[in-house]
Amino acid sequence: MMQLEAIVALVARDLRSFLRSRSQLYSSVLFPLMLLAILGTGVSEGLDPKNIDDYVTFLTPGMIAMTTVFSSTFSSASYYQDRDSGILKVFLASPHSPRVVLLGKTLSAVIIGAAQGLIVLGVASAIPAINFHWQYGVVPSLLVSIFAIVMLNFFLSGLGQLLASRIRSMQGFHLVMNLVLFPFLFFSGAFFPLDKLPEWLKVLGRINPLSYGVDMMHLALYADGSGGYFGLPLDFAVLTLLAVAVFYIGTGRSVSPDR
Amino acid sequence: MNLSAAPTSAPAANAEPTQAIDVCDICYSYGDERVALDALSLQVLAGAIFGLLGPNGSGKSTLLSILIGRRTAASGTVMLLGQSLAPRLRGRMAIVFQEPSLDPNMTVRETMAMQGRMFGLKPRDAARETSTLLERLALADRASEMTATLSGGLKRRLELARALLTHPEVILLDEPTLALDPDSRHGLWQHLLAANRDGCTLLLATNDVHEAERYCQTVALLDRGRVVAQGAPGDLKRDLRRDAVRIEWKTDATPEVLTMQSWPGVGHVRLADRTTHVTVDAASPFLTRLFQASGDRVHSVQIEESTLEDVYFQLVGAGIRPPSDGIPRETAR
Repeated sequence: MMQLEAIVALVARDLRSFLRSRSQLYSSVLFPLMLLAILGTGVSEGLDPKNIDDYVTFLTPGMIAMTTVFSSTFSSASYYQDRDSGILKVFLASPHSPRVVLLGKTLSAVIIGAAQGLIVLGVASAIPAINFHWQYGVVPSLLVSIFAIVMLNFFLSGLGQLLASRIRSMQGFHLVMNLVLFPFLFFSGAFFPLDKLPEWLKVLGRINPLSYGVDMMHLALYADGSGGYFGLPLDFAVLTLLAVAVFYIGTGRSVSPDR
Repeated sequence: MNLSAAPTSAPAANAEPTQAIDVCDICYSYGDERVALDALSLQVLAGAIFGLLGPNGSGKSTLLSILIGRRTAASGTVMLLGQSLAPRLRGRMAIVFQEPSLDPNMTVRETMAMQGRMFGLKPRDAARETSTLLERLALADRASEMTATLSGGLKRRLELARALLTHPEVILLDEPTLALDPDSRHGLWQHLLAANRDGCTLLLATNDVHEAERYCQTVALLDRGRVVAQGAPGDLKRDLRRDAVRIEWKTDATPEVLTMQSWPGVGHVRLADRTTHVTVDAASPFLTRLFQASGDRVHSVQIEESTLEDVYFQLVGAGIRPPSDGIPRETAR
């Protein structure tokens, strides 16, 4: 019970800090929407892709995934801010194990990332140029999308904590996160369909955890009578397994307030 | 004077612990090379103000980090409040860190509330106690301000208020008055002494000799991870045979100080600006020679009471505070 109270306190603290940081709040939501407008319109009108029907709608799940990627990176970086301000030492000197402290921090990252992803989803659904197909019906499709967003955030926040434990500086952390996450994003089906790629790129897509989340959202929001690239059961199984495993490993790492 | 670490023993089963902290033969190394604690043993009685005095790198902070569970000793035993170290025991203790440890994005009151929640206090109790502490530490009018806006002294006071919130039985203090002005330092100690009067054990890690002498009932002198002496400050100084002489120079006296170090009977020499602190076997022959050699450059001379730093120098052959500019101003004799 006392541990739960500590986790809730840590989550509330991070949420409050996030809401106080207006620039982070606005930019993380506006950036994907801006990209959606510019990239979506630019590619649709300028390149006129023949084999992607309604590119802006196709792009939306990818932008939601991108929002979660950025959000998890920023939220995981707050570990360094807490370390440098010394507050992490104070938390670790409380009567709780380091896992409780990390769990609180990572859960707050999940909540912030999921909320941002859902805001982008909500705003996108209100834009006339974006036509979601809601292939399973509005409510089930929405639930599938929410599940994908939450699981992606569990995976990415866990990964962020895992990397933060091995990288000493925040600058290095951002570099490595970009190095890891941008390929994740490019080969996830966020910007172009995986089934149109050469075989070796398809392999990268298959081993990419983000692909399963993007595919799940494509199935719920974009596809119309399609089974998707992987299919909903496989998306569900792989995403859940990876999210739980990486989150567990990420929050179970040893914590040194000195690095 | 006890020139070795006090003998330790495990507390008797079912007995009320009279030792707040009992550390026996603990070792800790950073990697393969630097030994931070080398079979260190000490006991801190419940309700005491106990000082760990030693230069940077002598193992003080490492010992504190072991006591709060941040590090684990490679060997030896650590008992806290009569029990083996465990996370739940941290609920009965608190620490004031050497470096600032406040969240700049939280207000003063939020900082206190967070501590209360982390330690399982009921919100109403935490709020009431927070109001009392902020009033007592003269922080009440800043309660709604972000901690980033506080001065260094106020931040320290807030860190102390946070530590006192949970009524800890033991408070670990890692150089708590570092970089504070004299008024803030004095004020902070008044609050710490009040907590001690209420029964709280204070374990102070410091390299401030005067602070240790003034406030600690018992002091352990640390050198390279070992306790070289332990006792009441007065007892530790009683067996010191050397006199301490303070010399004020008219001009820079670096050449004189370097020469002085080779004189017979001269021990610890420390130069700060135009003031030199020297420990000698006997003041009279030293002063005679001083005035013969450099009388025209001496502004004033004062024979002082020896400090724990002189004791430390006699035992270890080095000073507690590092020389400020690299001139070899401290020599073992």
